[in-house]
Amino acid sequence: MGVGRLKNQIIAKIITRFPSLAKRFIESYDPWKSVDIPWTPVVKALRNSTIAVVTTAGVHHIDQEPFNMKDPDGDPSCRVIDIRKPLSSLIITHDYYDHADADKDINIVFPFERLKEFEKDGIIGRVANIHYGFMGHITGRHIPALINRIAPEVARNLKEEKVDIVLLTPG
Amino acid sequence: MGLIQREIEKAGIPTIGVSIIREYSEKVKPPRTVFLKWPFGHPLGGPFNIAQQRVVLAETLWALYAIQVPGTIIDLPYRWRREKYEDMDINIILARGTKKSS
Repeated sequence: MGVGRLKNQIIAKIITRFPSLAKRFIESYDPWKSVDIPWTPVVKALRNSTIAVVTTAGVHHIDQEPFNMKDPDGDPSCRVIDIRKPLSSLIITHDYYDHADADKDINIVFPFERLKEFEKDGIIGRVANIHYGFMGHITGRHIPALINRIAPEVARNLKEEKVDIVLLTPG
Repeated sequence: MGLIQREIEKAGIPTIGVSIIREYSEKVKPPRTVFLKWPFGHPLGGPFNIAQQRVVLAETLWALYAIQVPGTIIDLPYRWRREKYEDMDINIILARGTKKSS
């Protein structure tokens, strides 16, 4: 592992314990000027709805290419997570937060087992089979690709998969 | 995360996000957010704390239906530790004044 990645991982461990330190990063982060706020009304009852998760915690399957940790602007690409595959195939590649706890129990960032319980209890209609994993440290030059191409592609796929509700979780 | 959320909502699917950094959500303005003042990497709670994870999930799904104003951030009242999640009933959380829909 390079010195750069090690440094990022050490900083991530410190920030995980003291989230207020992250404010400095947010202030220096080139703010995306959000003026309008998109809005789709919720019309379907929870007990009839299909739910998918989009997580930016760096979750992917072990046989997929890991997220690129060498690019300082992050990696805007996306991984398809199929929960029909074994739980043991899910791993996290992300140097910008301490995922030691999530490595033990992935549900704290990608709560698919809890959603499965909600499905069984009749609280929600169905958990989608396909979910989407991003790495949540995407800045600078990658933002246009993320919002103009990759995120809309994921949204189209979710529509095709007849997903009614999307839950987003960070790292 | 908020940028992706905005695109999904724009495409016509209602979304709810869990935030650990309130300032980021205020800036990016996703349509619906629940905020927890918790350590990074733990949006749903602690590892194997199933009761805690279920409560957060229930609150989050409740917020999806409760939020009526775009850009709303709901501050969830839970402290990182010192809560008795086992005593909380997620059905009560979910039933609190959600609007009726078909």
